Amino acid sequence: MKSAVTTVVSAADAAGRFPSMSDFESVKGSFDRAKARLEAAEKLASCLDNFTNLAVDAVYQNGTYEQANKDKCVRDIHHYLRLINYCLVTGGTGPLDEWGISGMREIIRIQLLPTAAYIEAFMFIRDEIKINDVMSQQAETEFKGLLDYLINALA
Amino acid sequence: MLDAFSRTVVSADAKGAPIGSEDLADLRKYVADANKRIDATLAITQNVSCIAADAVAGMVCENTGLTQPGGHCYPTRRMAACLRDGEIILRYVSYALLAGDPSVLEDRCLNGLKETYLALGVPTSNAIRAVEIMKIATVAIMTETNTGRKMFKGINSGSGAQCQDIAAEAATYFDLVIEALS
Repeated sequence: MKSAVTTVVSAADAAGRFPSMSDFESVKGSFDRAKARLEAAEKLASCLDNFTNLAVDAVYQNGTYEQANKDKCVRDIHHYLRLINYCLVTGGTGPLDEWGISGMREIIRIQLLPTAAYIEAFMFIRDEIKINDVMSQQAETEFKGLLDYLINALA
Repeated sequence: MLDAFSRTVVSADAKGAPIGSEDLADLRKYVADANKRIDATLAITQNVSCIAADAVAGMVCENTGLTQPGGHCYPTRRMAACLRDGEIILRYVSYALLAGDPSVLEDRCLNGLKETYLALGVPTSNAIRAVEIMKIATVAIMTETNTGRKMFKGINSGSGAQCQDIAAEAATYFDLVIEALS
């Protein structure tokens, strides 16, 4: 799976060379952000259920979407947030790309679930929930970056 | 290929659970030890030919028939192949050490290695001995317990004594090679 370290190792292996100084630098560079990422992952894991419920309740309260779909929506939002948690850990978008985005839009559609509801839910998490209360500024930035990435992919 | 981070992700995904504080402790240690890990990897990359040559020479010394006509390291072309393989194994060990996970070593180097050696008529017992010597040499260089000249640069962390844990980790990767050939 793609991450800062595996990218460097793959490139070195393709060229048949040992890891070089510049490889080490790039690995180290990715670790500079690691503290914020891991904090975001940790805090997100602890409020994953809470975020999911807040977002889905907000989206489904005004009756735009069929209530029958609500449970499925909860399940999927929870799934996506878990993948974001994984992305925060790996430091790349690998888990979302491989397990969440490729083919997911088709699956949502074939189940006749509204993609718009998902997008709204993620936008609610991004814009309405006070993420700052549970995690630091840098951690929030990392988390929101991935939310944006997911929203763009689903839209 | 996985690294320490993606390994955690793959095992968490198998359980369907998000990664919480407990699992993150190991990763925080990995990040905190990054400098030591880089120094330890450098201890391999800067001494590759020395480690591989010593190991192959040691293997031959213990079994001098190898370089005699009819031996497995005769003629020099086969001896050179032996040195090359030693360097390749060290290269994959250095990748695994940097990534903090043996998957790259297993997938790209060890998978099918024994079968290849058997097909080529390479005696695996001698190959294992060479890997054992490489393991001992690598650990000694990383922990600065080797005799003779100083081979550990320690540009980031300072001393080899701090690399004990990482050297132990490197030893487990050599053990995987030995296991794969046994």
